[in-house]
Amino acid sequence: MDRWLLLTAILLALIASVRGMLAVHHGRRSRSTVVWMLAAMACQVAFLMIRGEARGVCPLKDWGEIMVFLSWSLSLFYLLVGPAYRISLLGVFSAPVVVLFQSIALLPGVLHAHPKKFADGNLWHELHSATSVLGYGALALAAVAGVMFLVLDRQLKEHHLKSGLFRNLPPVRELLVSLERLLWLGGSLLTLGILAGCLMPHDKQAIGHLIAALTIWTGYAVLMTVKATRGLTGRRLSLLTVGLFILSLGVFAFV
Amino acid sequence: MKLLCLGLNHRTAPVEVRERFAVSTSKLGSVACELAAMTGVAEGLVISTCNRTEFYLVASDARQAFEQLESHLAQKTQLAPDVADHLYRLEQTSVTRHLCQVVSGLNSMLLGETEIFGQVKQSYQAALEAGATSSVLNRIFQRAFGVGKKVRTETSIQQGSTSVGNVAVDLAEKIFGHLKDSEVMILGAGEMSRITAQSLVSRGARSIFVANRSYDRAVELAAEMGGSAVRFDAWQKVLERVDVVISSTGCPFPIVHRADVEQARHARKFRPLFFIDIAVPRDIDPAVGDIEEVYLYDIDTLEQLAEEARSRRHLQIEQCERIIETELAKFELPG
Repeated sequence: MDRWLLLTAILLALIASVRGMLAVHHGRRSRSTVVWMLAAMACQVAFLMIRGEARGVCPLKDWGEIMVFLSWSLSLFYLLVGPAYRISLLGVFSAPVVVLFQSIALLPGVLHAHPKKFADGNLWHELHSATSVLGYGALALAAVAGVMFLVLDRQLKEHHLKSGLFRNLPPVRELLVSLERLLWLGGSLLTLGILAGCLMPHDKQAIGHLIAALTIWTGYAVLMTVKATRGLTGRRLSLLTVGLFILSLGVFAFV
Repeated sequence: MKLLCLGLNHRTAPVEVRERFAVSTSKLGSVACELAAMTGVAEGLVISTCNRTEFYLVASDARQAFEQLESHLAQKTQLAPDVADHLYRLEQTSVTRHLCQVVSGLNSMLLGETEIFGQVKQSYQAALEAGATSSVLNRIFQRAFGVGKKVRTETSIQQGSTSVGNVAVDLAEKIFGHLKDSEVMILGAGEMSRITAQSLVSRGARSIFVANRSYDRAVELAAEMGGSAVRFDAWQKVLERVDVVISSTGCPFPIVHRADVEQARHARKFRPLFFIDIAVPRDIDPAVGDIEEVYLYDIDTLEQLAEEARSRRHLQIEQCERIIETELAKFELPG
């Protein structure tokens, strides 16, 4: 059942991507993206509930669950940020990332077919997992906003202003404001996650994980501090946001 | 009953003739009543904009109605009899087709402009409230508004800016969103920069700084636009706070160099900066555009963008006409 839900979520996000891209190609606003993403999110919630029930704890115990939780978090922040900042196109850019994350979860061996039940979960452990993945969801969306900025910046710089994509992209300043707020939100959640991680019981193997987390956190902290104090060009802020997010995914995939 | 239209527009009459036929907004209702009160006329409506004045009638006899109206207008405008050469007379389907073209912006001086839609609506509302319209004009106008909306949503007839000023303002909005948080500096108090700056102010730009070699002229223009005058040797300092710079001095060599902008970058915290160079020869060194957060557009680029938008709109005419013809086939006309 959980795999079917995941498959449905992938299909819904794929429809959101394709319909959104077609609308943008024809120079129209992708009004239905939010609806398809909402439906995809409902499937993600159902998936996580079933896995949570099976685990007896927060469903963040294998890479498949983490990927779905990350997709849910990304969808959640898109649904919160997109309409609030009139950035409907954020969905068109987010939906393919959601498809990618969820597809990774469906790869053989990534999602445990028979999830192991945990007798009683540790509160700090669960708080650490949940806030960290939520934080990465916000940071993923910041990276998406960064990609959108880079596309718009290039079009403005090179005076290529005819495409439907250009007409639909939100203004530079709105994108940068959203990106910065998402960075602060993601950074704060990540901080909470790391604090909870320090308080949870852990073995020697967790040291590498903690160092990786602290390295990533330091990267984001430096980025936000520099932006707040000295300032950064939109291009550098976006490139660093995208780079840091890819780096964080890479680090956790191998550590 | 026959549906009729008598009118003149920018294509058929020069401004000195058009202005004699103009009807002020406050009189649209009363003039519509005058039309409806003519012998053999059941309904009347007048549209009056800077580019056109058109009288719509529903009458039993077309010839009699046109003659009556023309003599009434000749009396009112006191123009020579040959003024009739500037007028067009349309009947039945030609009227509805013409009206659909008008509300769609196909008959406008600036192809696809949107203002006409509101102006026709206002004229219709005035006639409706004055009781000068009834079943025929009500149905025709409401259907025409529907067609106008369809044309504008299903084609790109109104997309893109067709003047240099509007292209610049649209770009500013693409960079800064709402302009209410944006500050503008004008370098050189020329006419083009004044017009562009006024467009930015009309869209909400927060404040304007005017720097000109003649300080008195800067003060004059700043007062006109509700902004502040800046001495020409102090514009670099103002650069630290503004978001948009419009330059059109008559200087034969560039006055804004890369070093000037580089110097202001730290104080600006690398915020986006939009330069609009509408001077010939150019005021802004093209190397300024290489700075990461700077978007530089010169007059040629802006003019090219405006021309492209105009061409795109022209390419849409055929599609618009097709929509109008399809919709016209659904109209049920009187008589």
